Amino acid sequence: MIVTPNVASEEDIDKLIMPDDLPNEQPTFKAYIEAKVFGKEGHIIQYYRQPMKSLTQYFLALMSIPLLGTYQNASTNQATGILTNILGLPNQLTNVAFGATIAWNWSIQLGSGTQTFSPSLNKLAAPIANGSGAGQLVYGAVSISYSGSSISISVTVTNNTSGGITVTEIGLTCTLGLFYSGNSSNTYNYLLSYDTFSQPITISAGASATFQITLSFSG
Amino acid sequence: MMISEGIENIDIHMPNDAYDTRKDMPTFNTYLAVIVKNSEGNIIKVHRQKSHSPTTNFIALLLPVNYYTSTNSSITITGLAGASYNYQPAFSNNGYDITYPNDGNSYYSYLLEIDVGSGTQSNPLTATNLASPIANGSGAGQLVYGAVSVSSSITINGSSAYFYISQTFNNQSGSAITITEVGIVTKISIYNIYVDAYEGIFTLLTWYDVLSSPVSIPNGGSATIRYIFEVNP
Repeated sequence: MIVTPNVASEEDIDKLIMPDDLPNEQPTFKAYIEAKVFGKEGHIIQYYRQPMKSLTQYFLALMSIPLLGTYQNASTNQATGILTNILGLPNQLTNVAFGATIAWNWSIQLGSGTQTFSPSLNKLAAPIANGSGAGQLVYGAVSISYSGSSISISVTVTNNTSGGITVTEIGLTCTLGLFYSGNSSNTYNYLLSYDTFSQPITISAGASATFQITLSFSG
Repeated sequence: MMISEGIENIDIHMPNDAYDTRKDMPTFNTYLAVIVKNSEGNIIKVHRQKSHSPTTNFIALLLPVNYYTSTNSSITITGLAGASYNYQPAFSNNGYDITYPNDGNSYYSYLLEIDVGSGTQSNPLTATNLASPIANGSGAGQLVYGAVSVSSSITINGSSAYFYISQTFNNQSGSAITITEVGIVTKISIYNIYVDAYEGIFTLLTWYDVLSSPVSIPNGGSATIRYIFEVNP
């Protein structure tokens, strides 16, 4: 009897699945960052745009929720390993009167430092705080829009200090909440993406800038 | 005093330098593989392609609460059987949100399975079911669905990180079966803990792909579908 040999070994499968040799196929996802800098009079004086480079493992863990849900399976009342191992969420909320739910907000954090990227990076090198003190920027409300398979997140910051402030790094951030038992909740903070700008962006005293991150699935 | 004018005609659409130029790798990719074995258990084909297609259900569930609150809007999520729900979560105890494991109730949200089918559809974003699902069973035209498995965590390799979803389908139908479409199906329960209101569990197609070429599973053989979701590939 002739037995057909394997065309590939089991050990090679993962390498075969994540190849570099599918160059002609449309990528799954594109993302880019834009910054518009306004002068004191409100005119756009500078405009930057660049591809986003670096999503973290926390983005991957968050996007696992629409795919995997939060429970391990239909009969195990425990959270998925990705939620517990990566996001540090509890296996199960206990002593809960009714039930528990999960939800999250996104925001944008700016910084004035730089650092080497790693998927487990969870903060900017030198975050610029919200405020009017030295080295601070006043963060406006986050605006989020969605069209088809694209999501855009933007925030406008204003420099109310007496000197210029230079932005060199940007991150998409997430505040995740677990809600349970009356008005109880636990919140967790994550960095979903981290990028440094190809050139520093200076916001003059009294001026403002709008930063936008766009995530676009190819659909 | 000279006042600078606003820069005109700024292209605010996707910039050319943000497209995949092969010089800048995209920051996220999904791969889809189908590993086919014959009745002797030997691998006879490995089909692989990039996967592209979240559905509107997926986008709705991924969007943050501050999208819904700032726009005061909802997005309709639609189940396999057509049941729909206007999803509008909130960041509070009084929100109608996705359930989380707890000892107070048993409204589960979990990955149900990978589905396979023999049809195609042109707009995956609006897909709410496969075009022509292949039923679970050993009758003519059916495949026996194995259990779905998932990474227990995220694997980090240098600057990249990934997790996978995998499921095997056995062909006991008596003849070869060809699959042309694949989707991920997730059960999502929506609940409000403040008023103890359960909105229901929705069986949602969250990811969908048409295979770049049909894959035939011989009688007695099997196919393992594996999705890999990876950042910074």
